[in-house]
Amino acid sequence: MNEVCFKNLDKKDSWSLAVYEASGGYSVWRKILRGELTPEQIIDELKASGLRGRGGAGFPTGLKWSFMPRNSAGQKYVVCNSDEGEPGTCKDRDILRYNPHAVIEGMAIGGFVMNATTGYNYIRGEFIEPFNRFEGALKEAYAAGLLGENISDSGVDFNLYAHLGAGAYVCGEETALLESIEGKKGQPRFKPPFPANVGLYGKPTTINNTESFASVADILSKGGKWFADLGVENSGGCKLFSVSGHVKNPANFEVSMGTPFKDLLEMAGGMRDGAKLKAVIPGGSSTPVLTADVAMAMTMDYDGIEKAGSMLGAGSVIVMDESTCMVETLTRLAHFYYDESCGQCTPCREGTGWLYRALKRITDGNGKDGDIELLLNVQDKIMGNTICALGDAAAMPVESFLRNFREEFEYYIEHGKSMVKG
Amino acid sequence: MAKIEIEIDGKMVRAKPGEMLISVTDREGISVPRFCYHKKLSVAASCRMCLVDVEGAPKPQPACSTPISEGMKIHTQNEKSKSSQKAVMEFLLINHPLDCPICDQGGECELQDVAVEYGSDVSCFSEGKRIVADNDIGPLIQTDMTRCIHCTRCVRFGAEIAGIMEMGGTGRGDHLKIEPFLTEGVTSELSGNMIDVCPVGALTSKPFRYELRSWQMNSTSTIARHDLVGSNINAQTYKGNVKRVVSGDNDAVNETWISDRDRFSYEGLSHENRLLEPQIKIEGQWKEVGWHVALDYAVKGLTSNILNNHQSDQLGVMASKTSTVEEFYLLQKIAREIGSENIDYRLNIKNLDNTAKLESNIKLGGLEGVDHALIVGSNPRLEQPMINHRLRKASLNGTSVDVINSMKFDFNYQLNSENIIAPNQIASTLAGVLSSVLASVSIELPDYLQSIKVSKESASIAEKLNNSDNSVIVLGEHVVNAENSATIVNLIAQIAKHTNSTTLNLSTTANSLAAELTGFVPGSKGMNVNAMLESDLKAYILLDIYPEYDFHHADKAIDALNDKDNFVISLNGFKNDIVSEYSDVILPIAAFYETSGTHININGDMQSFAASVVAPGESKPAWKVFKVLADLLKLPGFNYVDSTQITEEVSHQAHNNHLHNENIDLSITSDNINIIWQQSPYSIDALLRHSGSLQQTKIGKLNFAYMNASVAKDLGVSADSKYLGVPVVITDAVADRCVFVNANKATQTGGES
Amino acid sequence: MISDQAKKQIDAWVAKYPEDRKSSAVMEALKIVQAENDNSLSAESIQDVADYLGMPGIAAAEVATFYENYNHKPVGKHVIRFCHNISCMLNGSDDLISHLEDKLGVKTGEVTKDGLISVKKVECLGACVGAPMFQIGDQYYENLTAEKIDEIVDGLK
Ligand SMILES: Cc1cc2nc3c(=O)[nH]c(=O)nc-3n(C[C@H](O)[C@H](O)[C@H](O)COP(=O)(O)O)c2cc1C
Ligand code: SF4
Ligand code: FES
Repeated sequence: MNEVCFKNLDKKDSWSLAVYEASGGYSVWRKILRGELTPEQIIDELKASGLRGRGGAGFPTGLKWSFMPRNSAGQKYVVCNSDEGEPGTCKDRDILRYNPHAVIEGMAIGGFVMNATTGYNYIRGEFIEPFNRFEGALKEAYAAGLLGENISDSGVDFNLYAHLGAGAYVCGEETALLESIEGKKGQPRFKPPFPANVGLYGKPTTINNTESFASVADILSKGGKWFADLGVENSGGCKLFSVSGHVKNPANFEVSMGTPFKDLLEMAGGMRDGAKLKAVIPGGSSTPVLTADVAMAMTMDYDGIEKAGSMLGAGSVIVMDESTCMVETLTRLAHFYYDESCGQCTPCREGTGWLYRALKRITDGNGKDGDIELLLNVQDKIMGNTICALGDAAAMPVESFLRNFREEFEYYIEHGKSMVKG
Repeated sequence: MAKIEIEIDGKMVRAKPGEMLISVTDREGISVPRFCYHKKLSVAASCRMCLVDVEGAPKPQPACSTPISEGMKIHTQNEKSKSSQKAVMEFLLINHPLDCPICDQGGECELQDVAVEYGSDVSCFSEGKRIVADNDIGPLIQTDMTRCIHCTRCVRFGAEIAGIMEMGGTGRGDHLKIEPFLTEGVTSELSGNMIDVCPVGALTSKPFRYELRSWQMNSTSTIARHDLVGSNINAQTYKGNVKRVVSGDNDAVNETWISDRDRFSYEGLSHENRLLEPQIKIEGQWKEVGWHVALDYAVKGLTSNILNNHQSDQLGVMASKTSTVEEFYLLQKIAREIGSENIDYRLNIKNLDNTAKLESNIKLGGLEGVDHALIVGSNPRLEQPMINHRLRKASLNGTSVDVINSMKFDFNYQLNSENIIAPNQIASTLAGVLSSVLASVSIELPDYLQSIKVSKESASIAEKLNNSDNSVIVLGEHVVNAENSATIVNLIAQIAKHTNSTTLNLSTTANSLAAELTGFVPGSKGMNVNAMLESDLKAYILLDIYPEYDFHHADKAIDALNDKDNFVISLNGFKNDIVSEYSDVILPIAAFYETSGTHININGDMQSFAASVVAPGESKPAWKVFKVLADLLKLPGFNYVDSTQITEEVSHQAHNNHLHNENIDLSITSDNINIIWQQSPYSIDALLRHSGSLQQTKIGKLNFAYMNASVAKDLGVSADSKYLGVPVVITDAVADRCVFVNANKATQTGGES
Repeated sequence: MISDQAKKQIDAWVAKYPEDRKSSAVMEALKIVQAENDNSLSAESIQDVADYLGMPGIAAAEVATFYENYNHKPVGKHVIRFCHNISCMLNGSDDLISHLEDKLGVKTGEVTKDGLISVKKVECLGACVGAPMFQIGDQYYENLTAEKIDEIVDGLK
């Protein structure tokens, strides 16, 4: 446990440059500055490590980095996605608070690989404490001559800045995030073109999640194979899981990919008050909900969770016990997507409102015959028809809640009250 | 680029790689529904209506933003496409009011059209529709934002085409609302295009509101005549009245946009001031009479005043610059047949001995290809909105623009340099430019440049022109009445010649080019307008002239025309007291939209149009009046049956008997305060002046004398007083020693600025 | 009117972005100006920010109305931003919000009579393992209970 992003978690002032360097921090960056590592070597190591993007989509990081037209003329950018806003997710906040230098080093390495001399870390607007930690770390790094122009006479330039959001979940979507840095509303862009070709300010840009960047330096110092071996086939390394909900000790855990869910539950102290497990959302609110027995048999890696019928997402494990009313829970999630839709695509703007209003009507006791079909129908019409994945994210919970807990919905519609809470 | 082959609905189609799928389907006549896509705007891909099935793609793809590549197979009609399109349609309709019967867009609504084809059971939505509160966004555009489908075409139009972002999408998600910021509303000179781009009834024409359903109207294509572009427009008519004007498509002329001026001027047609009956003045009393009587009276007047006593050179004819080719031609032909060469349309020029001619030798489309532009004495946004639009497009493509003006204007593109100087300095700056241009091509300096010192500004403007492969020099209206007007124009011509620049002359507008082509200028024995006014002429034929607006020397003109001994025949579309005062016969004539004719635009295109409606009351197209008048005068060669015969005849003529000087005189350095007077853009012709809604706009209300504090002090005026009859605005935007006047009436300047 | 002090703060943000991309600083500029104006933004101050950064007023208004962290109505000196998303809800945020409302005598969205406090329900603040939680100013308060809430609120001045 806690071998990469969280390896210094137990140390005093774990966020300081001194602690970071004492555990080997910036050694990879210094190697690069000495000219001892090439971009190709770095990409190869990353590919070997099996690191997949920790922001939710799980795209192999090495492959992503290899797409950047590093030799094209003109400015290029690296951008870190610390917008963390998916309900259930709270790991990047802790990385920024407790290990900011790992993010800085990862971004600097990314900048070198992509030939991007400027980086921005987009931190969600509410994360003032993490922002201050990150800014503090930047100051230390600049003071130590690890950032700037022609760093240590290496000919390498890298300037890094933090950008603050202002409250919009959709800015976690990478192109909305770029719009947001450009000082616009966070409306996702349609793709193609992809950010690797037309990104921030129209320039080639690589975007990764905080945890992805924070994992890079360790992978390069200990080797891609070392990291891959921490995990399982197709899911290299270890991963932060945010376990919240009805568990005794909710917390972030950095564990090997492939760890059985029941072990993870154990680490979180098991169910609170000895209650019985009812359902698990394994990867953040957008990923399909699973029933207790399916969850208990699942392992925490990309394939394992997919086999169980959901997705690893950002590793945000929301645990629900038997007292949970699934209708009210889904209504709350539907409200979230309704609230957070950027509004540009018709299906998402209109569909999320429709889903929420219909569910609200049901929980207000005014459900009608045919409402279940209506909900299924509306989510199906959103699915796959939007610019960004927020539309799908709004649709997926509806489908899975209704599939797995249909009788609770039927009951609510028929009786005008919750089957669980009465 | 090599073409590639793709398959659409089983048919092989050739296309350019990277082209968006929707342009291919549009070209091939395959119908793909869309709302946010507009061929002249950037792609938003947000309405999701155009989703189609692309083989191999897991999700349906939007045709508007899917670049094609070799071997692609697309299905626009299969189950997958249709079900996505139906889904989007259903979503669009849940919050859209189903009030088509009372919506002004009814019958021409893209949403309604598509709904008929794709809509299905909308009824399962029972959650209560979204209602959106409306703001008043100005006198031209009516909003009903509950109907908005958030396609953002209007937003993109503003940001991309109008060049000022006035509309935006505030809020997010379900609360997304398309609206302008603060209370000023929409003020752009091109704002009405938002009505055309809005696919639904959210933005409609305010003057047209609640009038009619689109299918009740006839549409005739015609040509707008307020400026040098001759935008192609469609006049929509009902029971003999123009009810609305929308833009027509012509890529070489106005693409698909029109100015607000062209869109809303039709309102003036039905103004209560329209002149409806011929009338004659007998012993100082006006009497409405039939055409025969009026024309007989006119002929008698001409006969007794000039023809009978062999004083045919005592006839003066003048016409408004908005007249048609045919009108100009027939009126000058009458004058010349009678024996007078006192012919002119340049009523607004202070000193016609101080004019020089600058040709326009670049086409509208060509403007987009220049790499540098130098603008002199112009506020192109308000003078020639559609030409400014081309300059803006060029600028967005990287063209650099230098400006030499006497006031800072609100350009909607980036300027490389903006030189704000008085007219005298404009001449010396241009002389410096010429001097440095000549030096760089090693041509010996002419005498008049010997003592010129080249300023830093001149050198940098010259350098831009020298380094350009394809530049244009644009001359605007502001220098025509400067003391050294001819010098400025001739310097520009010289600079253009030595830098391979083209020139674009915006200094006279409307249909002035037609006047030149038809010879509506004084012949070698004739007098120009200012000379006529000094000469106690015995008779006048005046076509659509309103002296207090049209003449530079307005007071002098009114005096001259009021002379008791002369006989004045006026042809006008609108009643006017001053005209009544001096005229002996007033003949009511057709206005724009009511006559056939021809306009010549800056491209040299002769664009002919038919009448969209019949002129009201007894008013008649002026060309017909001239024909009958000529017949009654027994002049030969007026056997025309329709106006196209006249047009045909004109195209075989080539008049060019215009005298102009090539004098360059840099010695004028008087330190008078310079008054640069420009008619407000919505007051330049009679129809516009009678268009109520345009007059209510911010542009329509431009009526100010701008000057800096030191000039105000010298003139003894202050911010709350008036100068030349218009309110004073004190601003540093104006060059020192200059007053920039935006006003309607020339008489306000005392006729002498 | 933007104070010189605020302009200085804005300039520091502007410096992070390419020279011709001043509008990248609009989000922070709006926050800075909001902080100077009793925590809410008027149309005029949005226009001021737009002018200062050389962007159209409506573009700044789009930003100001898109993101959650701007207020367009008067709010309390302290805004309690109470998360009511899934993890907090599972941990009783609904009851705690009611408790808070009762204690303050206001509903969410309202301001206490003395203008000191207003309560706002917000979506997930990214502290789910510390649920239930809320934010006041820059500070997160996690693992809330009714007692803890009383103590925090009583300490607000
Ligand atoms: C609605 C939405 C919200 C997202 N939020 C986040 C987020 O908060 N943090 C994040 O890293 N990625 C988020 N993503 C995923 C990003 O778009 C992107 O895939 C990711 O930042 C890439 O980094 P990675 O490859 O390192 O995962 C979100 C995606 C969507 C569609
Ligand atoms: S899917 Fe929703 S959030 Fe994503 S771009 Fe479309 S409207 Fe915006
Ligand atoms: S026309 Fe393609 S998404 Fe709107």
